[in-house]
Amino acid sequence: MATSNKTLTPLYEASTQFKNWRHSSEDLAKIRSSLNSAAVAVIRQTLEAYEPGSSLAVSFLTPDEELLLVRLYISKISQLCGFFRFPEEVEATAVSYLKRFYLKNTVMDWHPKNVMLTALFLATKTTNNPISLEAYTDNIPKTAPSDVLELEFLVAQSLGFEFAVWHAHRALWGIWLDLQTVPTAPPDRALLESEKYDAAHRHLRNSRLSDAELIYTPSQIALASLSLASPELAAEWAEFKFPLGSPSLSRLQSIVASIKTLIQSSSQPVDVEAVRAVDLRLKLCKNPEKVVGSKAYLAKKAEEERKAEEKRNRKATDVQQAIAEGDLFGDELTRGLAVDDDDDDD
Amino acid sequence: MANRMNFLQGKTVRKVIPANASHSRSSSTPQVNGTSATIYGGGVKDPSGRITEYSSEDDQCPVCKSDKYLEKRLRLLVSSCYHKMCESCIDRLFTLGPAPCPICSKVLRKLAFTPQTFEDLGVEKEIAVRRRIAKEFKKRVEDFSNLREFNDYLEDVEDITWNLINDIDPAGTEARITAYREANAALTLLNTQREEAYVLSLRQAEDLERKEKEMRAEEQRREEEEERAERESGKRDIIDRLERADDADAARVVRRTRRERAEREANRKGVAPGKGAQALLRARLAAAAATAAAKDTPHVPFQDNYYAYEDMFVLQPVYVDPTSEAVRKDREGIMRAGGFRVEEAWERALRSAVAGLDLWPLGQESVPNPQPIDQGGDVIMSAA
Repeated sequence: MATSNKTLTPLYEASTQFKNWRHSSEDLAKIRSSLNSAAVAVIRQTLEAYEPGSSLAVSFLTPDEELLLVRLYISKISQLCGFFRFPEEVEATAVSYLKRFYLKNTVMDWHPKNVMLTALFLATKTTNNPISLEAYTDNIPKTAPSDVLELEFLVAQSLGFEFAVWHAHRALWGIWLDLQTVPTAPPDRALLESEKYDAAHRHLRNSRLSDAELIYTPSQIALASLSLASPELAAEWAEFKFPLGSPSLSRLQSIVASIKTLIQSSSQPVDVEAVRAVDLRLKLCKNPEKVVGSKAYLAKKAEEERKAEEKRNRKATDVQQAIAEGDLFGDELTRGLAVDDDDDDD
Repeated sequence: MANRMNFLQGKTVRKVIPANASHSRSSSTPQVNGTSATIYGGGVKDPSGRITEYSSEDDQCPVCKSDKYLEKRLRLLVSSCYHKMCESCIDRLFTLGPAPCPICSKVLRKLAFTPQTFEDLGVEKEIAVRRRIAKEFKKRVEDFSNLREFNDYLEDVEDITWNLINDIDPAGTEARITAYREANAALTLLNTQREEAYVLSLRQAEDLERKEKEMRAEEQRREEEEERAERESGKRDIIDRLERADDADAARVVRRTRRERAEREANRKGVAPGKGAQALLRARLAAAAATAAAKDTPHVPFQDNYYAYEDMFVLQPVYVDPTSEAVRKDREGIMRAGGFRVEEAWERALRSAVAGLDLWPLGQESVPNPQPIDQGGDVIMSAA
C-alpha cells in the first residue's frame, strides 16, 4: 500500500496545500488570535495618533467575530456562483482563497465583502473559467471594476501565489466511481443509490463553512461527507481500501469521525442578525489607514510617497557612485552587484 | 551590425540591390577590360556570386573626370588608400611600377586596387579593417580570469579598430598590434585551430548526412529493381509451369508459385541492411558519441519521481457516471477541449479520492492511539 513507496514523495504531500495550508485546529486559533491582537494594537495606535483618547470607546472585534463575518461571506460565494452558474470548482476554489486570505490578514484591515469578490474573480481565472470583469461587476450591485482589481494583487500575494487547490468534491466523485469497483457492489448501485451521492454532496458543501479543509485532506473530508449520508457505503469503501484491522483503517475511521462532528457543528446557517451587529461595530474599528479619504489614509500615502522618493534618490546616487568609481563594466563576477535593481520595498 | 559580423566571418550575405537595378545587373557581368579585372584583392569575397560589385550611373573618375556619359564601360576601382579611379587611369599611372596616388600621394601599386562593394567607402574600409583585426585578436571570454579584464581587452580591440579606421596614430597602432601578436601568438594559434576544428566537424557531419541519404536512396532503388525483376521472373515461371502441367493442376501451380515468391520476399525483407549502410551507421553513432562526450551533461529541470497512488486504485474502462454523461455523449467534441479524455478526469478523481487518505492531521501524529472523538460515528463505521 502507500507505505511501500516510502522513497517517493506522494503527490498530495508535494502540493502547496499540504506544505503551506495545513494546520492543526489549535494552530488556527493561535494564528487568528495573534493576527487579531496585532491588528488591534496597530489600529489603536493609529487612532491615538490622530485623535488622542478616541480608541478607548472603540470595541474591537474578537477573532470569533471575525470568523463569523468570513463565514457569512463564504456563504455569499455560493449564492454568487449559483447566480453566475459557475462550476463547482470555481466556488470551492474561491472559498479556499477567502479562508487562506484571512489566515494572513484580518477583517479589520480588509473587509471581506471586497475580498470575497476578488477571490471569486481570481478563482474564475485560476480554474480556467474566465469571465470579463465588466460582465462580473455589472451583475453585482454597488460594485465597480476597481473594487475587484485593487485587491487582486494583495489577495494573490497573501495566497503566496499558490493557486492550485485539491478539492474535496473531486475526491467525493472519485470515491463514488471507485465504489463501483468494490467486489461486493450491486451492479447498478451508482444509479439506484444516487440520492446518497447527492446527500453526501450537500454535506460536503456544508463542510466548506468549517475549517475542515485547513486541517484534513480532501479525501478524508469527502469520505466523512459520504459517511454522513450513508455510513454503510463509507465503511464499505474504507474497508475496500485498507485491510480490516490495519492501523491505517482505524486511523481513517477516527479522523472521519472527527470531521463528521466538525461538519455537523458548522452546518447551521450563519445568523445574519449577529453578523449585522458585528459589521456595524466593524465600521468603527476598521483600520483608518485603509479607509480611503481619511486623515490616516492620506498620511500613510504621503509617507509611502516619501519613502519611494527616498529610494529613487538612493538608487540614483548609487548609480552615480558606480559610474564615478569607474566600475561600470568591472569585476562584478567577484564583487557582486553594487546597484540595487529590484523594485521591492526593502 | 549583424550583417557586418557575417562579413567578418566570411559568410555570404545577400546585398541590397542598389536603386538602379538594371544597371547593377549589367555591372555584375564580368567586364574584361584592362588588367585590373582579374585583381580581387579586397572587397567582399563571395564565392556564391550573390554580392555584386558596386557601381552607379553618376560614377566619375576623380582623376581624369571622365564619366559614364563619355565612357560607357567606365569602371572605378578602389586603392589601398581608399580613393577611386578608373581603370584607364590606373593603367596609365601604375603600369610602370609603384607611383604616388594622385589624390593623397601615398605610393601605390597596380595590384593594390580592388573592386568596390559598398557605396560608402568608409564601410569598405571599416570592413577590411575589422576583418584584419578579427584575424589578429582571437581571445575568448574563457581566456580571462575576470570580467573586468575581458571588458578591457574588448575596449582595447575596439580602440585599435577605431584608430585604424580613422587613421589616428597609424604607427603607434601598428606597433600595438605587433606587440599583441608577439605576446599572444600561441593563444591566437590555439583559438584559430579551435575554430577550424569546429568548422571541420560541421562539414564532416554534413558530409556524413549527405552520404547516408545517397546510400538510402541507392538501397531503395536497388530494392525496387530487384522486386520488379522478381515479379517478372515469377510471371514467367508460372507460364512455364502451366505449359508443362495439365489443366487440373493449373490453379495449384499458380498458388504454389505465388507462395514461394512471398516466402522469398519475406526473406529478403528480413535481411539486415547492407554492409555499407552499417558502416555508415557506425560512423554516425561514433560521431554522435563524440559530440555527446564533448557536451556538458544535459540539465534536467524536473524529475518526475512522485508516488501517484497507483497501487491504491484500479481505473475501470467505464463507469456509471451521470456527471460526465453529457460530455461522453458529445461525439463531435463540442464540449471538450482538445485532447480531453474522460478517462483522465476519472483517474484524477480517483487519485484525489485516495490521496492522503491515512494522513494524520497536524498535531495528532504523535498520539499513538487516539480515541475517536465522535464515538457514535465510529461505532457505525466499524459495525458496518
